[in-house]
Parts: sequence; C-alpha cells; structure tokens
Amino acid sequence: MTKVLLIEDDSETAEEITAELADRGFEVEWSASGIEGLDKARSSRPDAMIVDRLLPGMDGLTVIEALRKEQVRTPVLVLSALGAVDDRVRGLRMGGDDYLTKPFALVELVARIEALLRRPVESRETTLRVGPLELDLIERTAKRGDRVIDLLPREFRLLEYMMQRSDRLLTRAMLLEEVWNYKFVPATNLVDVHMGRLRHKVDGPDESPMIHNVRGAGFILRTGL
Amino acid sequence: MGQEHIIRSNTFRWALAVAGVFAVFVMVLFGFIYWQTDQYLIARSDKMIESQLNFIVGLPGEHRLDAIKEHLKQDSRGVQYAGLFSADGRKIAGNLERFPPGLQLDGSVRSISVERTLPAGSETHVIRAIARHMPNGDALVIGREVDEAREISHVVGQALALGLLPGLCLCLLAGAWLSMRAQKRVEEVNQRVQRIVAGDLHERLPHRDVDEPFSKLAAIVNGMLDEMEAMIHALAGVGNDIAHDLRTPLTRARLALERGRTNATTLEQLQMVVDRAIANIDQSLAIITGLLRLAEIENSRRTAAFGVVSLHEMLQEVRDIYEPIAENKDIDLQVGVQQHLSVRGDRDLLLEAVANLVDNAIKFTPEGGKVNIELLRGESETIVRVSDTGPGISEQEREAVLRRFYRSDKIRSTPGVGLGLNLVAAIVKLHGFRLVIHSGRGGRLEIICPDK
Repeated sequence: MTKVLLIEDDSETAEEITAELADRGFEVEWSASGIEGLDKARSSRPDAMIVDRLLPGMDGLTVIEALRKEQVRTPVLVLSALGAVDDRVRGLRMGGDDYLTKPFALVELVARIEALLRRPVESRETTLRVGPLELDLIERTAKRGDRVIDLLPREFRLLEYMMQRSDRLLTRAMLLEEVWNYKFVPATNLVDVHMGRLRHKVDGPDESPMIHNVRGAGFILRTGL
Repeated sequence: MGQEHIIRSNTFRWALAVAGVFAVFVMVLFGFIYWQTDQYLIARSDKMIESQLNFIVGLPGEHRLDAIKEHLKQDSRGVQYAGLFSADGRKIAGNLERFPPGLQLDGSVRSISVERTLPAGSETHVIRAIARHMPNGDALVIGREVDEAREISHVVGQALALGLLPGLCLCLLAGAWLSMRAQKRVEEVNQRVQRIVAGDLHERLPHRDVDEPFSKLAAIVNGMLDEMEAMIHALAGVGNDIAHDLRTPLTRARLALERGRTNATTLEQLQMVVDRAIANIDQSLAIITGLLRLAEIENSRRTAAFGVVSLHEMLQEVRDIYEPIAENKDIDLQVGVQQHLSVRGDRDLLLEAVANLVDNAIKFTPEGGKVNIELLRGESETIVRVSDTGPGISEQEREAVLRRFYRSDKIRSTPGVGLGLNLVAAIVKLHGFRLVIHSGRGGRLEIICPDK
C-alpha cells in the first residue's frame, strides 16, 4: 500500500483528509507539528507527503527544505491558506512539487497526490501511444488508428498531457496550470469548452469515447475500451 | 495653549537672533565706515601737508620764510605746524621750537609728538608731520594735527551710532511681526490637521496660489489627503460590498442546509441540498479569493516581475484561448495588429487583464456578432483595444461598471463574481497605464500604455 505522510495542525481538516485517502486505499500517517513531521518523514520513508505550510514551531516549507538538503526526493504536495502567486512560487521553489490552496476539494487533493505518485517518466520516445491514439511529438501530428486528427497547437498539448497521464483523473485546475500555464482562474469554463472541442475531434461518431467527463471532478482519458 | 507659548517664545527668540545678527552686521559696517572715513581724512590731511612741504621746498630761499609765516598766519585753528631748522638744529622759522625728535627726513608723513607752548602752558600733541632736507642743508618740517581729522570721524561715528539704535528696534519689530505671521500660519495648519486627525476628512490645508515653499507643501499634503480620503471611502464601501455579497451565498447555503435537514427524506434529496450548499460556499470563496487578489494587486509593488512583454504575441494567445468559446456563440473573434509592439510589465497580469476584457466582450455580444482585439499606436502611447458589436456601455453605466461586484443586468445569469473589471483596473493602474471605457453602441475598452 502506498504510504502518505500528512503534516497538518488542524485536526478536523486532517481527519477528513485521512479518511478520504484511506477510502482510496492509501495508508496515512498523521503528524500535527513540523518537527514531529520531519522526524516521521526521516524514519518512516513515506511514498508521498502532504505538508501544510503554516504549522506551529517549524513551518512546512522549512521541513521540506530540510528534507531536500538530505537528498530526500519524496514528492511533496504543499497545502496553504496563502494563495497569492508569490506564495505559490515560493512554495515550489523551496522544494514542493505541487501547491494547493485552502479550501480545496478532496477530489482535487486526491487527483494531485495520484499525479505526484505516478509522474510520467521522461521518455526519449518520439511517439506517444495510448490505445488507438498515436502522437508524433516531432512532427506534431495525431492519429486515431488510421484517421488523421487535425489539432491546433494547444489542443495537441492538451492531448499530449492527457495521454501521458492516461486513466487518471485530471482536474480543471491541474489542466489550467499545466497546459495553459495559468496563475489565475478565468471566468468562463475555458477548460470545458476546449475539452469539448478536443473530444469532438478525438472521439469520432462511430468510435468509442476515450475522453470522459467525471462529473464535478474533471476529465479522464481512458485506454480500456 | 502651553504649546502655543512655546511656539511664540521660539519664534521670538528667532526674531531676537535675527535682530542680533543684524545689529552685529550694522556695527561691523559702521565700524568699517568709521575706519575708512578716518583713513580718508588722515590721508587727505597728509596729502595737504605733503604738497605744502613740496611747495615751500620749491620756492626760492627768501620766499620760504615768508611762505612759512603766511602758512602759519592762515592757521586760524592752530592745527598747523611748520618749522625750518638749520643743519645744526637751530630754529630758523616756524612754530616748532626744535626739530621733532624721531622724525625722519625722508619726505614721508609720520605720526610724531610735539610740544606746543601755549599761554596756559605747554602741551604735547600727536601730529602728522613730514620733513625734508633742503638743498642748502636746512630741514623743513610741515605738520598737522591729527585730532582734527579724528574729530570729524568722531562726529560721523556718533551720528551713525545714534542711527543704529532705531535701526535695531526696527529690525526687532520687523522680525517679531514676521515671525508672528508665520506662527499664525503654523497655528492655522495645526488646527486643521488636528481636525483632520479627529476624523474630519474633508478639511484641506489652506494655501494661496503662490509659488512659495509653504504653499507647495500645503498643496502636496492636500494631495495626500485626497488620496487618503478616497482610499478610506473605498475601504468603507468595500466593507459594505463584501458584507452583502458574501452574506448572500452563505445565507443561501445555510437556508438550504437547514431546510434540507428537516425536510429531506431520501438520500438523493439530501445530496441535492448538499450540492447547493457547496455551490454557494464556493461562490463565497470565489468572492474572497477575488477580493484578496484585487488587494494583492492594488497594494503590491510587484514590479519585480516586470519584463518586456511582446504584446502582439500575447494578444494572439488570448485569441487562441477564447476562440472556441467565441465559436460556440458563433462570434467572430479577430486580432488586428498594426505593428509589433512591446511594453514593460508583468506578462501574466497583462494577459489576465486582456483576457478579462475579451471574456466580457464575448459575454455581452449576442450570437453572430464580432469581437475585435486590436494593437495600435497612438500619440506616444501604445493602445490595446477590445471592441464588440454588443449593446455597449451606456453613459450612466460607465461609472457603475467599475464598482465592485457590479454585474450588469444583461449578464446576470452568467457565472461570475463581478470583479473582472476591477481586476483589469487594478492591473492597469499597477503598470501605470490607463483604462478607457467608451460609452455608446458597441463596447469599446482600451488599455493605454504611455511611452516611458
């Protein structure tokens, strides 16, 4: 079982997170202070960590900094009530791998932890294949089986991202941050509209749908047909 | 009142100091004049006896004695001295009994003391005298009393001194008057400031349209107060806005949960209630986040993130993002670039600002319309213009549109918090640009970037 270490000082929040992760099959260890958390991180070697930034005593970022200095490469998701762009930048610069602002949806948290745990391996492959989909990363062309799919650059980027993380839930926030590089949330349902278009191009009328909308959560590219 | 006393004594001391300096200066000046006058009079006297000496020396032998006699006869005040002595020191003529000791026969004027015999007795005087050898070996001495010149100088000095006293008084009075005037102004400003501090934000410092430092300072402070007043009003307004707009969705959430708890009988119903509550809470959170972002931008000096922003590229990106959304509404979204232009700024923020404008334009334009993004040059400025074929913003709405949470009735049903234009305005202001909202048919908003 995958072990996740949660360092969070608010017990109610911690309870909810622990319960949700446990439901998803994770083994969760909880620590309420920075120093204790750092200690546990060193001793129990979790597969991933969720660290709240504002902790009593040693704060979250210092914990991460200390671990990084000891060459600990465990992926860390930073939780914080501080949501300004500069705060996010700082969190990532201090060694965090992802940053989530409170309040957040549990679905979002889980999706991101899973993304951290199964980060796509940097491959030298020039072609990306998922099911019948084939992407030529050099030529920037896409095919489904024999049918050529005509994609705009951003659509290509979106499909590439989804294919690298196939069968995993991708939230709108994740897509906005990684595919659009947004530091803000645009007013309109940008992601939905672009995804709708992509879906239209990828899932032809007689073909079984690969791009799915998970209600209230995000999108998944499913390989299993 | 005690405070006033201190001010007064300070200014009075200042006036005294100025008067003191003035007095010293005047005395130095007068001293100088006295000395110069003295010198002049002595020099004149010296010149006179020198020419007298040369005159007599130039006369032929016999005439000299007569000249000396004549010279002394004409001396009504008894200030002239003359003496002709033979080579062995015997007096030949004049009123000097013997050759003044210490007097050099070099033809230059010296101060020496001589004895003068008078009916009352003999006196010693200090005179200016000049002596010379004659061709025949005699020595001629011509002298003049210095006291006379001194007397004149004295008179001058006295007159000046008498004038000093009234001058000093005048100076003191003037100093006192000026300092009292200045003190009055300071008092006035003091009172105004106290009223402002007590909460009366409308007060401003008085200043005449005079180009003097005090007025300039008053003008600057007034400017500061204007800004402060605006900020405080905005803050007060925001408090009200926040209260209303946060409470509404939170109230809805609460009501839904309260009723659901009592009335929901099936799991499905309860889930619906919970969904509604979550939606409303998310709305409240969006408002809070929006306001925090606004505050962050309005109050930040985030110019550290500034770099060169290639506008034509950025506008193309905005178009790419919104193109599918525009297409859904059958709106023609175009970018028109006259020339490749760049400005200094934060790319992410500028993109967000333009995206907001385009987002609004698309929202407000009915199906089949057009939205144009243009990049052009004005007079020493770069302009980003977003225009549409929608109904536009009326003259009245123009003002309202920049209020927080304002949402035009035309788009009330679409999602959003009503802070979009506020965000654009804040970003524009941070960059030192201008946001111009045109009224009339067809929306037209411009971000004007002046050349630095």
